[in-house]
Formats: sequence, C-alpha cells, structure tokens
Amino acid sequence: MLDWWLPENVSTYGRDIDWLFHLIYYITGITAILVFATMLVFLVMYKDRPGRRARYTHGNTTLEIVWTVIPSLILVVLTFLSAPAWSRIKIQAPPASDFVVRVTAKQFNWQVTYPGPDGQFGTADDKTLLDEMHVPVNKVVHVHLRSQDVIHSFFVPNFRMKQDAVPGREIVQWFEATKTGKYELPCAELCGFGHSGMRGWIYVHTPDDYQKWAAENLRAEAAPAAAEEKKPEAATPPPAPAKGGKAKR
Amino acid sequence: MSPIILESPLARPPGLDRSGGRIPPAPPTRDGDDDPREPTPGGSRLDNARLAMLFFLAGESMFFAGLISSFLVLRLGAPLWPPPLQPRLPVLVTGLNTLVLLASSVAMIAAMRAVRRDDGRALVERLAVAAALGVLFLVVQGYEWARLIHYGLTVASGVYATTFYTLIGVHAAHVVGALVWLTATLVLAARGRFGPGRLTRLRACATYWHYVVGLWPILYLTVYLL
Amino acid sequence: MSATTASAHAHTAHEHHELGFVRTYVFSTDHKMIARQFLFLGLIMMILGGVLALMVRWQLAWPETPIPGMAWIFTETTPPGIIQPPQYNMAFTMHATIMIFFVIMPILAGSFGNFCIPLMIGARDMAFPLLNMLSFWVTATAGVIMLSGFFVEGGHAAAGWTSYVPLSAVPEYTGVNWGQNIWCISLFTMGIGSMMGSINYITTIINMRAPGMHLFRMPLVVWSLFITAILLLLALPVLTSGVAMLLFDRTLGTSWFRPSGGGEPLLWQHLFWYFGHPEVYILILPAMGIASEILPVFSRKPIFGYHAMAFSMIGIAFLSWVVYGHHMFVSGMNPSLGMAFMVSTMIIAVPSAIKTFNWLGTLWGGRIQFKVPMLFALGFVSMFVIGGLSGIFMASTPVDIYIQDTYFIVAHIHYVVFGGSIFGAFAAIYFWFPKMFGRMTNPVLGHLHFWGTFIFFNWVFFPMHIIGVGGQMRRIYNPMQYEFLQHQQHWNVFMTYGALLLGATQILFAINFFWSLFAGRKAPLNPWNSNTLEWTAASPPPHLNWGPTLPTVYRGPYEYSDPEATDDYLPQNQPPARAGARARGH
Ligand code: HEA
Ligand code: HEA
Ligand code: CUA
Ligand SMILES: [Cu+2]
Repeated sequence: MLDWWLPENVSTYGRDIDWLFHLIYYITGITAILVFATMLVFLVMYKDRPGRRARYTHGNTTLEIVWTVIPSLILVVLTFLSAPAWSRIKIQAPPASDFVVRVTAKQFNWQVTYPGPDGQFGTADDKTLLDEMHVPVNKVVHVHLRSQDVIHSFFVPNFRMKQDAVPGREIVQWFEATKTGKYELPCAELCGFGHSGMRGWIYVHTPDDYQKWAAENLRAEAAPAAAEEKKPEAATPPPAPAKGGKAKR
Repeated sequence: MSPIILESPLARPPGLDRSGGRIPPAPPTRDGDDDPREPTPGGSRLDNARLAMLFFLAGESMFFAGLISSFLVLRLGAPLWPPPLQPRLPVLVTGLNTLVLLASSVAMIAAMRAVRRDDGRALVERLAVAAALGVLFLVVQGYEWARLIHYGLTVASGVYATTFYTLIGVHAAHVVGALVWLTATLVLAARGRFGPGRLTRLRACATYWHYVVGLWPILYLTVYLL
Repeated sequence: MSATTASAHAHTAHEHHELGFVRTYVFSTDHKMIARQFLFLGLIMMILGGVLALMVRWQLAWPETPIPGMAWIFTETTPPGIIQPPQYNMAFTMHATIMIFFVIMPILAGSFGNFCIPLMIGARDMAFPLLNMLSFWVTATAGVIMLSGFFVEGGHAAAGWTSYVPLSAVPEYTGVNWGQNIWCISLFTMGIGSMMGSINYITTIINMRAPGMHLFRMPLVVWSLFITAILLLLALPVLTSGVAMLLFDRTLGTSWFRPSGGGEPLLWQHLFWYFGHPEVYILILPAMGIASEILPVFSRKPIFGYHAMAFSMIGIAFLSWVVYGHHMFVSGMNPSLGMAFMVSTMIIAVPSAIKTFNWLGTLWGGRIQFKVPMLFALGFVSMFVIGGLSGIFMASTPVDIYIQDTYFIVAHIHYVVFGGSIFGAFAAIYFWFPKMFGRMTNPVLGHLHFWGTFIFFNWVFFPMHIIGVGGQMRRIYNPMQYEFLQHQQHWNVFMTYGALLLGATQILFAINFFWSLFAGRKAPLNPWNSNTLEWTAASPPPHLNWGPTLPTVYRGPYEYSDPEATDDYLPQNQPPARAGARARGH
C-alpha cells in the first residue's frame, strides 16, 4: 500500500530501505489495529451501565511481563534487520568505483564538479555544472559532498538517498542508479529563504548516451549544458498537474 | 539565580510546625496505617533550603558541563592547540590566583565555624575576608584579560580566544553573582541575624560560594593546563 | 525548610483578606493563582501559535495567494497579503517555538505542575512560594521578549525551531539580525524561569508530602511532574549554555559554531538535541500522568499496574538522555554512532509500550463514563499510539535516511505534541476546571469541542504521513516548485481545510472556557467522585488549601470499586473502617 505513495525507486540500496519501510509499516499497522480494536471493544463492553460494578484489580504481573517482552522482541528483531542496510549505505566504505563527482552546495544551488579527463579535482580541466548531474546507469557513483556556507541536504527521493552537506567537511556518499531518466534533487535541510526551490536534476543515461554527453560537455573548452531545455533520454513521464495548482511556477 | 535565598527559612528548626502558628500542626502520622518510620509529614533528612541548593547546583553543573564539553570538542578537533601565533595564557599568575580563590573558601569555612560558636564578630570578619579575596581574584583576572587583549587575543580571534573568554567569562560572572549574594549575607551577619540555630541562609550562601570556588580549579585545569 | 514556608504562609495568611488586587491576582505567591496565570499565558500564546500555523497551511495549500485578512501584515507584495519565503520561514519557526516553549510547557509543567503538586500531596503551598511567583514572572518576561522579536528590523528568527548553525549563527545567511538574538535571549530567560520552577517542584514533592503520603501513594500525575521537573532541571541548562554560545557568536564574534573561525557546526546539533530529546519527554510525561489520573476515575477502577506506570516513566527519563542522536542520523555525525542511537531509540519505545497497555488494562472491566475529560484522555492514548508508532519508522536508521526532514516527521511531531500533549492539556483543563475555578464547564460544548478537535486533528495531520512518504520536504515554502510533489498537492489543500476547521473548533473551547468561568454551574466539592486529596479541599481551594488540619493519607490514590467499601470510591484521606480495609493498594 505504501507503493501508492512512495516515488519510484531506481537505486540499488533503495530496495532494502523500501523493504524495511514496508516491514515496519505492517508491524506498526497491525499493532495499531490491535490496540484500537481492543480499546473500542472495551469502550463498548464496559460502558457504564446501572448496577454493574467495575472489576477491582491492581494489575496482573504475568500479563505485564508478556506485553513488555513481546514489543521488546519485535524491536530487537527490527534493530537487527535494520543494521545491515545502514552499515552498507553509510558505514562501510562505498563499493569501489572510478566515477567520482564533487558536489558543493551553496545558497541556493548544487555545484556539480567533474574531475575531467585527468580524474583529479582542482586541476584546470575540472568541469562544474550548476544544478545538474549526469551519470551512467548501473554504475556506482561516488559523491564527495561539501558545502561552502550553511548546512544543506542532498536528497534524491527516487534513490532513497539523503545526506547533509556540512561546511568545513567533505562527506563521501554513493549511489547506483538502476534506471535511466531524469530525477529531481531537492535540498532537504532548511538553508535560508531560498531553501524551497533549491533543486537540481540528476540525469541517468545509458552508458553510450553518457559517453556522448561527456564528450560534448566535459571537454575543457565546452560550455556547461543548460539544464532545462535538455531533453532527457527515457525521462519518466511528467506527472499530472496538481488539483490545487493555483501556484505560479 | 540567587533569589533562592529569598525563600530560605528564618529562625525555626525544621519539621516542628509547618503551619505558621495560625494553623495547628498536622496530625501525627501514627493515625495512618503506614510505617511509623514515615517522617512527620513527608520529608527527607535535608531541609528545603539544602535540597533546593543541591538541585540548583545540579542544574548549574549541567550548564557548565555544556560549556566544558563544547570546549573539549573544539579543543580536540583543532589540529594545533594553542593555535600558532597566538599569545599564551598566563598559567603562573592564574595558578597563584587559583590559590587566592581557594583561600577565600577557607575563610568561608572559618566563618561557618565562627557562627557555630555564635561568635558574631569573627563571622563578619571572616565573611569580609572571603569577599575581599573574591574581589582580588576578579581584579587579577580582569588585569590578565586586559593584557591578553592588549596582546591581540580578542574574543573574535578564533576558537582559542572564543573558548577561553567564554568559559572564563561565564565563571567570572558566577563569581560576581556569588559576591553580590555574599555581600547581602555579610550585611545580614553584621545585623546579627545568624546564630547556631539560625544559619540556613548563611549556609546556602556558603554552599554556593564553595561551589563557585570549586568550579575554578576544573576550569583552570581544562582551559589553561590541558 | 518547612518552617520557612510556614512563616511565609503565616505572613501572607495574616493580611490575606486585606491583600490588594495586585497581591492577589498579579504578584500572588499562591500556587493556585500562579497555576491560573500559567494557564492563561499558555492559552493566549496558543492563539498566536495557531494563527501562525494557519498562515503556514494557507501558503502550502494555495501557494503565493493572498492570505485573507493578512493584507495589513504583508504589504509589500502585489496583491498584498502574500506571505514571502523569509516570512514563511519565520512563521513556522515561531509557530514551533511558541507552541513548545510558551504553550505546552507553561500549561502542562507550569500550570498543572503548580496546581496539582501541593494539592495532591497535601501541602499548603510550594516549598518556596516567592520563588514560585518569580518563576512565573521570569517565564512571562521571556514570552514578552520572544514576542518583541516580531517587531524588530529584519523580522523574527527564521532558522527553524532547531536553529541549526551556521544558518542561525551568521545574520547574512538568513537576513535576520536581531530576531535570532532575541530568540536566544528569550530562551535563556525561559531557562532561568524553568530552573526556578523545577527546583521548587522537586523540593516540594520530596519534603512537603502530607502524613502517610509515601512515594508510592503519590498520584501518577505527581510522579510524572516530579520526573518532568528533574528532566527540566538537567536538560534546560544545556540549551541555556547553547543559546548563550550562539548569542556570543552572533554578537561578540566568537566562533563556537562558525567554521570560518574554526568552529564546529555539528556541535550545536549535539547540544540542542541533548536538550531536545529530554525536552520532548518533558512535553509528554505530564500528559501521560494526566491520562493515568483520569482513566481510573472514569473507569471507576484502580489504575492497572501502578508500579509499572511509575517505573516506566523513570525508565523513559533515564533513556531520554541516550537517544538524542536519532535526530542526527544523516547529519554527518559518525554513522557508527547512528547505529548505537538506533538501538537506544528502539529500547525507549518499550516503556511507552508498557504504559499504553496498562492504560488499556485500566479500561478492561471498568465502568466507563464518557465525560469530557475522559474523552480527551482516550483521545490522548490513541493519538499518542499513532505518533509513537510513526517514531518507530524513524528509529530504523535506513528508513530515516528517506523520511528525515519530510512531512512524515511533521506528522510524527503533531501526533505526539498535539495529539499527545495538547489533548492531555485539554483533558486536564476539563478535569480540574471545577477545582481551579469553582465552576463546572458546559458538557455539551465540551463534547462538541472534543469531537471537532479529534476529527479535524486527524484530518489535518494524518495525510502528512502520506505526503511525507511521497517525499515532500519540511520547511519548504512552495511544494509546487517540485515536479515530484505536484501530483499530491490536493492533499495539501485537503489538510488546510482541516486546519481551518480545527482552529475554528477551538473557538468553542474559548467560549466554553470563558462562559463557564463566569456563568458556569457552581462546582461541588468532588464532582467526579475522585479519590485524590485535591478534591477534599474547597473548590476553589482557599489560600493554604485546607483548614486547620492537613489531610492524612491512608491508601493509594486509585482505590475505586473496592468490594469492601460501600461507595465505589475510597478517598485517600478516609480513615480505614475496619482492620480488613487497612493498607489497601500500596
Ligand atoms: C511529545 C513529544 C515526542 C514524543 C513522546 C516522541 C516519541 C518518540 N520519537 Fe519523536 N520527535 C518529536 C517529539 C516526540 N517524539 C519531535 C518534536 C520531533 C521533531 C524534531 C524536529 O526535527 O523538529 C521528533 C523527531 C523524532 C525523530 C527524528 C526524525 C528525524 O528528524 O529524522 C525520531 C527518530 O528516531 C523520533 C523517534 C521517536 C520515538 C522512537 C519515540 C518513542 O518514544 C515512541 C514510543 C511510543 C510507541 C512506540 C507507541 C506505543 C507503544 C505500543 C503501542 C507498543 C507496541 C509498539 C511496538 C511493538 C513498536 N522522533
Ligand atoms: C506544541 C506543538 C505544536 C502544536 C500544538 C502545533 C499545531 C499545529 N501545527 Fe505545528 N509544528 C510544531 C509544533 C506544533 N504544531 C513543530 C515543533 C513544528 C516544526 C517546526 C520546524 O520545522 O522548525 C511544526 C511545524 C508545522 C508545520 C510544518 C511547517 C513546515 O515544515 O514548513 C505545519 C504545516 O502544516 C504545522 C501545522 C500546524 C497546525 C495546522 C496546527 C494546528 O493544530 C493549530 C490549531 C490551533 C489553533 C488554531 C489555536 C486555537 C486557539 C486555542 C486553542 C486557544 C483558545 C483560547 C483561549 C481559551 C483563550 N506545524
Ligand atoms: Cu539548501 Cu535547503
Ligand atoms: Cu527525539
């Protein structure tokens, strides 16, 4: 049922997250239903009626032990199921890859820097694009995340990926997209009046398309491509306009 | 936050009568079915003023814990400490100054002794000594600050100055507060308001003084020596 | 010391009759009057906080359209009345700041702490009445300081109620200059006030209990307030030190948090959440106590598992110090710490589980009377369960990667703070109103208020889970700027209608409140046939609460439907009839 609402997942570890999401959804859902059902039954059964006297009891130790232990067990299991995904995504060194981009957040843009042919940052042939990132599909991408002013948050809903960019440190993250298309890259941490609308695009290309794009845009003299007019390959169909759409875009 | 003293008791031993004379005391506990160990009514060994003082200091400690741990975070995060090209802190003078402050605590203890002997004059004198030592401490501190600023270590010059001035400054503020309180107590003492049975206010003030003094060596250790 | 209060009492008691208006209603040292003052402070602030919330909602539903009646505030737009991004940030920042620090804390901890503690443990007043008065006036001053921020150049704080640095540390980043400073100063002041209050509460509960009232005969609401006071005492100073450093950074140019000067941005988050998580339990614990108080009364049944209830609250208090990192899973904090915090966060759900099931156990086999306080107490339990369960999603670190800073969090916030704390507050207001003001509230309006609030509350906040799962970020000015959010905009419109209705419903409460205050039916001594001591004092209780003798306590607070008793309730102070009936309960 969550799938009605979740944006399409197009990253490798996104699956693990969605799986956990569903698991917890069912656990908590069932818990909630049980709690509310019991409550309603009690409210109906034990509604005040003349002549009845309430049961005089101060508690029941076995019962209390039971309902302490069961939730504890559930939570322990949940913890053990969550741990691997977490350590895979955030703790362990990212899977090896030669594809590295540096993203430097600033009020209110994502500056995406490609190391250029020599594979080194800080050299003449670096290429920096504004609010757009191009990556090949099915390839592990390392993102070296920085911020030059305040804290921003690198959020790709379709990748189930989020990481704050903290000024004064570089945080290395990774993702592997499994489907070509054009995905939105909003900023998820309040970073000032421009926070809303601080947004970039991630273009996931097929390998040869990526090569083509790189040849055109990552060569030293080429000018960075402008994001919007670029027609994305196999882009996800633009979503239906909203009902309450009085908004000026 | 010294208003605590506003509430410290006057001249009556604890427990006897909590009704202010107009209202007869509560019935003895034995009427209840509870164990006679239950103190009449409610209550712990410590009287309200001492308890309140205790918790007040607990809160204060959390405040300083916040500052000190923040200091340690920056201190241990910094590549070089103290950062190069910044004046060193006057470790020796401040060390001596520490002794001054500790001495004031001793004077305070002596004062408490005096009041237990119901020796009003000695009490006033020793309180005065404690206060004077406190003032001396502040003066020396101020002088050192002036010199540091003169050497170019201003609040705005990096983490080193930041942590130093904040921690030491906040403590100094507490010393000032304690001094105000101590002066008030001194006046009361001069009016002969304290005696063997009547020293709750005095004790509260003394406790706070000892606390503020006791904080200093910790700060000296972390900020100057570490 | 006891004698202190005593003499203080004797003092006030003497010229009680000739106390002027000022000493009776303004600078009163009577805990009941101070309780009323805190209550009014909180309710009036709630109007402001609510109106800010409604502005936020309007912008989210119909972005960049004029808000009706706001043309005189947002004059610079065409047409006037459109809220601009800086003001939007200011709106939700102050909405949260006010609601948390100047609505819930004054009402739950401030008002009902002051009202319940002395009356329910059988004391004549707080241990330090004067300090008590000061604590209110310091808090009120903090409130005034906070409000003054709306009128300064550059507007009020706009960095979120969490005021993450460096955004909040450098004026240029937000364009807010004095607003943020005032935010710091106000919270600093509030910290001092709450410290005075908590010291007073703790001392009173430890030292001033009536004869026979040992710890495990205290009503659970007193337990909850006791624990809350300890948390306040130890948590608030950490925030106080934090805002002090932030203020120094902004005004003196220190560099605690500014990377440019070698400061550490994450340090603020650690300080804030080290305070912040205990804070959220400070918000909920009194409400839990209130529910544990009201459920037995209206089920005519002893609370289920008294000791479990008390100890689970103690457990929550201890654990609340070691879970704060769950707010920082993706903040750049060492991810291994994230793992540790996930474990502790999962554990802290267990005491809440115990409480929930004990509440259900209390209903089991009871004689449930659906009076207004009971309805709100039941509402509290159910809404807290939803809010708590949504907390489990975030406790699981991988899931939190996705839902952190989305509306899923906003939904969680409101289910626990509105569905939890505010429902608890309403329950308490309806429950103790007769004792507090000596008049009954109107049950019809009360029922309407409950059902309106309950329905519209879920109407507003449940869909937030959905758009949160859909990925809508918090603190965004205009969802329509994002293509992946446009298809769920209709939810935002839907929720805003609910919010307007929710706000309107509160008018019923205001009417009921003030009408009952002046024209309500005179309240009997013990309208709910309750056991606890406050109902043995006149309503409203006179200064010093009881006549010549203090009540003596013979049993626990929840002895309802005791087969050996003739009535279906046994007041704590009623002498045991026969040896058989002695020492019932605890
Ligand atoms: C009254 C306030 C209150 C309370 C009581 C809680 C209770 C809990 N909170 Fe919440 N929380 C907030 C107020 C509160 N929270 C606020 C204001 C924020 C946002 C701050 C901000 O960023 O602005 C927040 C944010 C927040 C986060 C950070 C989200 C993020 O920013 O990424 C997390 C993460 O773990 C969390 C977890 C929890 C948990 C596990 C509980 C637990 O204590 C809940 C325990 C209760 C239950 C679990 C339900 C009852 C139990 C049962 C029915 C038994 C069966 C249950 C199981 C078997 C699972 N909360
Ligand atoms: C105590 C806590 C509390 C309460 C009660 C509320 C109440 C409400 N909140 Fe609040 N909210 C927060 C705490 C709270 N909120 C927090 C902590 C945040 C996070 C902020 C951040 O991101 O920094 C937040 C954020 C937040 C957002 C997200 C903003 C964003 O991220 O962009 C939204 C959006 O819809 C919202 C809406 C509402 C609404 C519609 C209400 C409604 O329920 C309000 C209805 C109430 C009224 C309209 C008032 C009626 C008047 C009375 C009841 C008084 C009666 C008067 C007398 C008797 C004299 N809130
Ligand atoms: Cu960048 Cu929000
Ligand atoms: Cu938390």
